[in-house]
Amino acid sequence: MLAKKTPAREEAPDGGAGTRRDALGISRLSLAVGTGESEIPLLADVTVRVGRGETVGLVGESGSGKSLTARSALGMLPRGARATGGVTVSGVDVLAAGYRELRDLRRTRVSMIFQDPRASINPVRRIGDYLTEGLRARGVPARGAAEQALDLLGQVGIRDPKGAMGRFPHEFSGGMLQRVVIAGALSTEPELLLADEPTTALDVTTQAEVIGLLKEMQRAHGTGMLFVTHDLDLAAAICDRVYVMYAGRIVEESAGASLFGAPAHPYTRALLEASPSVHGGRAEIKAIRGRPRALAEAPSGCAFRDRCPLAGDECAETVPAHRPHGTSLVACLRPEQVTP
Amino acid sequence: MSTGDAMSTGDAMSTGDAVKAPVLSATSLVKRFGHVTAVDDVSFELMPGASLGIVGESGSGKTTTARILAGLEQPTSGTVTLDGRAVEGHSRRARLRQARRLQMIFQDPYGSFDPRQTIAQSIAEPMRLHAPGSRKEHRARVDELLDQVGLSSRAGQSLPRDLSGGQRQRAAIARALGVAPRVLVLDEAVAALDVSIQAQILTLLDDLRRDTGISYVFVSHDLAVVRYITDTAIVMRHGRIVERGETEQILRSPRHPYTRLLLDSIPSPGWDLDRVARDRRALDLL
Ligand SMILES: Nc1ncnc2c1ncn2[C@@H]1O[C@H](COP(=O)(O)OP(=O)(O)OP(=O)(O)O)[C@@H](O)[C@H]1O
Ligand SMILES: Nc1ncnc2c1ncn2[C@@H]1O[C@H](COP(=O)(O)OP(=O)(O)O)[C@@H](O)[C@H]1O
Ligand code: SF4
Ligand SMILES: [Mg+2]
Ligand SMILES: [Mg+2]
Repeated sequence: MLAKKTPAREEAPDGGAGTRRDALGISRLSLAVGTGESEIPLLADVTVRVGRGETVGLVGESGSGKSLTARSALGMLPRGARATGGVTVSGVDVLAAGYRELRDLRRTRVSMIFQDPRASINPVRRIGDYLTEGLRARGVPARGAAEQALDLLGQVGIRDPKGAMGRFPHEFSGGMLQRVVIAGALSTEPELLLADEPTTALDVTTQAEVIGLLKEMQRAHGTGMLFVTHDLDLAAAICDRVYVMYAGRIVEESAGASLFGAPAHPYTRALLEASPSVHGGRAEIKAIRGRPRALAEAPSGCAFRDRCPLAGDECAETVPAHRPHGTSLVACLRPEQVTP
Repeated sequence: MSTGDAMSTGDAMSTGDAVKAPVLSATSLVKRFGHVTAVDDVSFELMPGASLGIVGESGSGKTTTARILAGLEQPTSGTVTLDGRAVEGHSRRARLRQARRLQMIFQDPYGSFDPRQTIAQSIAEPMRLHAPGSRKEHRARVDELLDQVGLSSRAGQSLPRDLSGGQRQRAAIARALGVAPRVLVLDEAVAALDVSIQAQILTLLDDLRRDTGISYVFVSHDLAVVRYITDTAIVMRHGRIVERGETEQILRSPRHPYTRLLLDSIPSPGWDLDRVARDRRALDLL
């Protein structure tokens, strides 16, 4: 059943905005909880696009708003949150959609995987039930669902899929269970996969295997993927495009490969300089002063200015608009001082 | 009194020929939990002022090794020698002696702070146990330590829950340094920190080692971090050491297929996942 899926499109990943609808379009999304004096802004002006079959990274330090952004694609907003802007998944207006419409969307066109596979699987149900349930909800008859589940387990590299169907989550290692979750997430052949740090809890060698599997499945199904990670190396290695978040905003959008060679935002460069690497010569690392901030506690104007080595008076005036620089779109007044 | 006291030649050496004698050595350490062998014949030496990395994946025995070094776990067999003396016994006296020379830093320092005590009080605590001096002297030393790890005196007056993860890790380092130990054992000490904060802690540790001549045993699953902070390293797998040497040498030309697999698994531009699969097959053939 996987074979009869339409093949992934062949065009350049960044090209197809016009012809086919995107897997995900978030435009100028702002989120806040609380009202009046006690209002807490969480996200501001977040614009993210994921084309069909495209892998798009969302990177940043903790509290920058990566998970909030990814979850908004499924209409999963914090309790009592108010949203402005637009979220469109496969043509559905998520912010306007009702409960049933969102449920159907999750069953058929969008899947999500999280860091901890044990959080997404009911511990007292067998793996087989977990997988067939999703398929049944999509209208696959019982017999067919069992066959498909077996097939999926084989595809994600579970040895003895028959035996695995009857086992419980605690009988699997973290890496193996994440494969099962991936099998479940892709069983509905979604147009969009939201992956929130899906390999962060895994060992590096297991991470490499799981990423290989994700990329392969994604290619076979033509699934668009939003990949959330705090690991710049990982994002640059597997993503067509990468968004860098800081304090609830997107500060840079760049082609995955050029993130390293030509960072445009001082924060992106600072992250790169702060990360030790196993590749190349043994380089010094440079610490960034201060600590990452949430939007609610960020300074006015450019949120990075209290940590930015290039900050000047004008950086305090307004939030810098996004503008093209090199192959990036960057929200900084002086990207030419980062990479000429 | 103890057998250790009779052979304290190591202490005499630490003034003269200090460079030659290891400050810490592990000899044929074995640790079994039931039928699981967590640590299997592990030996290494740490010279004064040196930094040794212990790398490997989860379950490879890194933490168990670190806990044995810190005297938090008794080895099934094998010995740890600290500052020229075998570490023996679980008596309070033996533990105090050990703690004066070796301190341990954990991944999440939150659990090791008393939630009702200010950071400054927590930092002063081991000092009261180990270092003679008046209350006032201790307070001055706490201020000095806070400053050394880059914490404000306001942070010193805070409760642990009011500090960020990076600040708590600084506080843990300050507390460990308070007894002027010769060795710090750090178990995944920067693993839970954001990149920018991790860099602050790593550079702090680097400066401290340069300034004080303290030695590190740095346990981590992260090869890039180990490359930055250590001179030599051992690679552990299933409780055993599969490779050892200078860190830079290990990374540049790994000899063991497992080390190669670890290295190739690290994402990079032009990441070759097929190569990772080949590495794994090579390892499985072993
Ligand atoms: N329900 C909520 N109510 C109030 N604040 C919230 C809520 N959910 C998230 N936040 C805040 O919004 C900010 C962004 O959170 P988010 O979970 O998106 O961060 P993240 O980038 O995914 O971080 P991490 O890397 O730690 O997962 C944080 O400061 C967080 O504390
Ligand atoms: N207290 C314990 N009781 C039983 N088994 C343990 C205990 N501590 C560790 N182990 C086992 O020993 C092995 C090594 O664990 P550990 O030293 O924590 O590895 P690492 O720190 O490299 O992840 C694992 O198989 C682990 O499950
Ligand atoms: S706008 Fe100013 S403060 Fe902000 S990143 Fe650019 S230079 Fe730094
Ligand atoms: Mg998150
Ligand atoms: Mg451990």
